Amino acid sequence: MSQRHRLRSLFTLVLVNGVIPIRTQPLYLVNLLASPLSFLFFIYVISHGALLAFGITGGLVLTMLTAGTGLQSDLTHYRHDMKFQDVVVASPVEAPVYVVGMAFSELVYSLPAIAVFVFLFVAKGYASLDSALVVGGVLILVWGFATALAFTLATYFEDVRETFMFSPLISLILTVLPPVYYPLAYLPRWAQIVARFSPTTYAAALVQCSVGIAPSACGASVLDWGVLGAVTAALFLVAAFKARWKDA
Amino acid sequence: MSAAIVAKGLGKVYPGSRSALPALADLSLEVPSGGVYGLIGRNGAGKTTFVRIAATQLNPTSGELRVLGYDVEGEERAIRARIACVPQESRPLYFLRVEEVIYTYLKMRGLPPTDARRRTHDVLEELSLTEYRRRLVSRLSGGLRRRTICAMVLASDADVLFLDEPTTGLDPLARREVWEAIRRASRENRTILLTTHYLDEAEALSRRLALVERGRLMLEGSPADLRGRVRYPYRVTVQGRLGRADLEPYGKVSDIEGGYLVFTGESEARELARRALEVGAHLTIGPVSLEDIFLDVVGRSIEEETSPSTESAEGEEAGA
Repeated sequence: MSQRHRLRSLFTLVLVNGVIPIRTQPLYLVNLLASPLSFLFFIYVISHGALLAFGITGGLVLTMLTAGTGLQSDLTHYRHDMKFQDVVVASPVEAPVYVVGMAFSELVYSLPAIAVFVFLFVAKGYASLDSALVVGGVLILVWGFATALAFTLATYFEDVRETFMFSPLISLILTVLPPVYYPLAYLPRWAQIVARFSPTTYAAALVQCSVGIAPSACGASVLDWGVLGAVTAALFLVAAFKARWKDA
Repeated sequence: MSAAIVAKGLGKVYPGSRSALPALADLSLEVPSGGVYGLIGRNGAGKTTFVRIAATQLNPTSGELRVLGYDVEGEERAIRARIACVPQESRPLYFLRVEEVIYTYLKMRGLPPTDARRRTHDVLEELSLTEYRRRLVSRLSGGLRRRTICAMVLASDADVLFLDEPTTGLDPLARREVWEAIRRASRENRTILLTTHYLDEAEALSRRLALVERGRLMLEGSPADLRGRVRYPYRVTVQGRLGRADLEPYGKVSDIEGGYLVFTGESEARELARRALEVGAHLTIGPVSLEDIFLDVVGRSIEEETSPSTESAEGEEAGA
């Protein structure tokens, strides 16, 4: 397959799984906006506005993470209920093109949420060249590792119902327990150690540091980038070698 | 005639399978280039396993399988560029319109938009789907959905098409439209591997047939070859006047509603016809059907389910 054909396949997959379903059911767009906005609302109300900045940066991280992990239910559904993966496997479309195309299509659903949080981010005066680069880089890595994780899991799930069980667990491990919506320093010592096992802790630290809302998070930026990059690379390798494109 | 698909000693045991029987056992087969090749067998016989291995969706456990000269283990990319597949029980994505199912599939395969549009238009016409082209898949009947997914693959530029029970759930008219489209595709010098348990379909479409039972090849050849290879090439039905004991000397006798079915040879069939006329019994006579051949070779009807052990292999197949 030439690069031109690959691009055509990729854009077609974005159209098929991202654009066309929204035409049929526009509520998809609101769906992915609901969770991060709910968190933002609660944080704003409970902290009397003091932690609004954490709600905005946390919302950005959660949106990108959800755009990645949301892929698992679509891929599992298409694989088992539609046999769509089998149709694609027996065609010139290569696995990476399929995954990237489907990942971008999930991003289409998240566009309203991204737009809202970027607007709030800019409106609150956090946008500078430095912070935009850091936040952009972190969000790409978060989306990347979440996508790789979702694809790998989706090739092992035997039924879409299994994704309903895993999604809240993944959400708990990657967004609720780690300090995405608050500074790491708010946690007791033992919980800070536990939180260090989640890659989103490092993502949140980088974002919170870059916009100047958690100076305590700025001590180990190199380590944060290193861990986030390493986790992303590791999950890509797992996806490349362990995901089941062709059945055993 | 060169072979499009060559299997040598192909075997498949599903990982973690508790079944005593492998899904495929030492299966060797040559599917010639061009035309329709029918793979027939009961549920769980191994047809889908064979198709999934040939379509590079599943790894074999042993043996070798080549599609258009390329090995399914290691040369998948070369094969995938030249094949298309309608998997068993596959369904088009429900939020697409009928024409989008076909058009986006062709574009996904890398076809330029103009070519994809023309092929979409042609196949919609061919399979009488034009009036439904703007309809959402979610609002189609099961038969129309199946016809849409067949149209999608038949419109492709692939050299080898795998159609795994493509007409299941279609009404007789729709089945015949799909048959016509399959015939037309086969005339374009494409190779079509068709699995079905509709024996009339296999006979109507296939240049050659393979009968698979419990993962093994039982019989292979053209429909005429298969008839020539069974013990009794004629079937005679007899109603009234003649009993089982009268008929047994002529061949193999089975009970049917209101009479008997006798599988017999040519001279015995003539003699039996004379005898029936003498005693005034009702009689029909003709060559054996594919169903009869199946019954003779396998010992059971194609409609009968496989044994529990084979079934578990098939069940594991879906989840493997």
